[in-house]
Amino acid sequence: MENTDQPLILSYYPRAIMHIDGDAFFASCEQSRNPALKGKPVITGKERGIAASLSYEAKEKGVKRGMRLSEIKETCPNVIMLPSDYETYSLLSKRFFTIVRRYTPDVEEYSIDECFADLTGLQRPLNMTYLQIAEKIQKDLEIELGFTFSIGLSLNKVMAKIGSKWKKPAGLTEIPGRFMHLYLQKKLINEVWGIGYQTSAFLNKWGIKTALDFAKKKEEWVKNNLIKPIYEIWQELNGKYIFKLTVEEKHNYQSIQKMKTFTPPSNNKNFIFSQLSKNIENACMKARRYKLAAKAIIIFLRTQNFMDTGYEIKLSRPTSFPNEILPAVSPIFDKIFQRNCQYRSTGAILLKLEEDKEIQLDLFTDPLKLEKLKKLYQSVDLIREKYGKHTLHLGASFFANHNPQHIKERSTPLERHQHLLKGETPRKHLNIPMFMGVVE
Amino acid sequence: MKKNHIQKISRFYRNAGRMPIYSELMEIFNFKSRNAVFKLIKKLVSEEYLRKDEKGKITPGRLFNSVKILGLVEAGFPSAAEEELIDTITLDEFLIKNKEATYMLKVKGDSMIDAGIMPGDLLLVERRSEAKDGEIVITEIDNKWTVKYLRKNSKTIYLEPANKRYKPIYPKEELKIAAVVIAVIRKY
Repeated sequence: MENTDQPLILSYYPRAIMHIDGDAFFASCEQSRNPALKGKPVITGKERGIAASLSYEAKEKGVKRGMRLSEIKETCPNVIMLPSDYETYSLLSKRFFTIVRRYTPDVEEYSIDECFADLTGLQRPLNMTYLQIAEKIQKDLEIELGFTFSIGLSLNKVMAKIGSKWKKPAGLTEIPGRFMHLYLQKKLINEVWGIGYQTSAFLNKWGIKTALDFAKKKEEWVKNNLIKPIYEIWQELNGKYIFKLTVEEKHNYQSIQKMKTFTPPSNNKNFIFSQLSKNIENACMKARRYKLAAKAIIIFLRTQNFMDTGYEIKLSRPTSFPNEILPAVSPIFDKIFQRNCQYRSTGAILLKLEEDKEIQLDLFTDPLKLEKLKKLYQSVDLIREKYGKHTLHLGASFFANHNPQHIKERSTPLERHQHLLKGETPRKHLNIPMFMGVVE
Repeated sequence: MKKNHIQKISRFYRNAGRMPIYSELMEIFNFKSRNAVFKLIKKLVSEEYLRKDEKGKITPGRLFNSVKILGLVEAGFPSAAEEELIDTITLDEFLIKNKEATYMLKVKGDSMIDAGIMPGDLLLVERRSEAKDGEIVITEIDNKWTVKYLRKNSKTIYLEPANKRYKPIYPKEELKIAAVVIAVIRKY
């Protein structure tokens, strides 16, 4: 191979892109609010029966993401298993993004626990170097949220991602253009963001082992042998800025997904349909909140053995009313439901969302009926806003709404919800996260 | 020509802040006689570019292009309340300074009872790593949260309860402050 000491580019920061990643985000949210959990192996996801997030102590003990509860107990008997408190995690996630936005408006909320931020041009106005800005943000996050974040600072998204993974937890790795090659030669090609199993297997066949091997390939070769997204990654590995940040705050959804697991698994057809119906109602509620309507829906059932069956159903026109969707879904459900199967979760995904302006009628829709539905759901949404999410629901969702989602050991309610404050209801809580545990 | 005259008068008005007198008009128009000035002014007054006051002095008329009225819409008096309310703050803004760092916690013990913090009270706290002497702070001691006064001087740093039945706590290791109490909420 060629000389690996040579820099790929000479400049330091033609752009300054940061990737910030919460360290064991959900588990850290739990540990930061309850000192009794600090320094202990903690997992979240109890209600789903698998480890969704694990504290560093749990990782050390050999617990892996996605492990089932029984396996976890074997691997690490003194593990603390908690049900996910998505409400609190989301509150802290919002705060995370807000804190980063104090320094730059260009923030992409990549997922609940990671974001990209563009710092280009901020050195002079903030009177700090890019590294100092990153350090300041990291410190603010740790003090105000109570747990650590890892940051990668480089000249584009792919490189920033490599940086944030470089040292975890609480790492801050800066990779200026001039020194990219030093990091890339230690990074295996399959560890690069966006390079999947197939692509890395293909590249291995050409003798490409490290990210640097790939970056040094001739442009012509990359263009001729690989698809465009991989070519774009190649360009970023060579210091170009290709993947732009999507900086709007997320409220435009391409799809809305609602999925719920229940225990114990069941083969009661009515119960399972009511679970599905509840998911559809919830997805529609979210769609209406963002004034969206779906032109298609996927429904799926998952068996105890994690086998999925799903169907995509096209709708004659965009809608966000469960009353219109359920009649279309019901025959498909009958088709995929198997009497001899034990199911553990159902889900619904609304697809092809468009803005719900003046919905175009199809040939067979009665405009009067549609007007009635609209009015009905305006009232439904108002009632729910006032009295809680599930005060009103379809008859089809009855079983799912009037039975606990989890029976037996997993049905531990959230600690936060066991001590409701005066004025809070089981569904509506103050939007300020609470410290937990004993307070003396 | 007329336009030129008007411009000259306007320019004088802008520069001097007053209308010119006749002798000055002679000068700016470069006229030889007062009569010529008089005639021109009479014409401009008739066309409403200028006006004459009771003493015969000229004042600006349409000299400066005024805003044209395009239409009228009837409207009520503006509500005084609207504007007054700009200067009010919500209870949230009153209680919370740094929203991203603010948390709540529920008091269980009675160690701060003399500071007016009762069991069951809700505390609003702000996560901060530093606190001043005399502030009520939240710290972690033996895997529990504790609420106490922070006492510190050049020599010592310790936590002081507000209840005679409890003793001050002198930390063995470094005292790590998690948050500072900013308000107590008790809802009846």
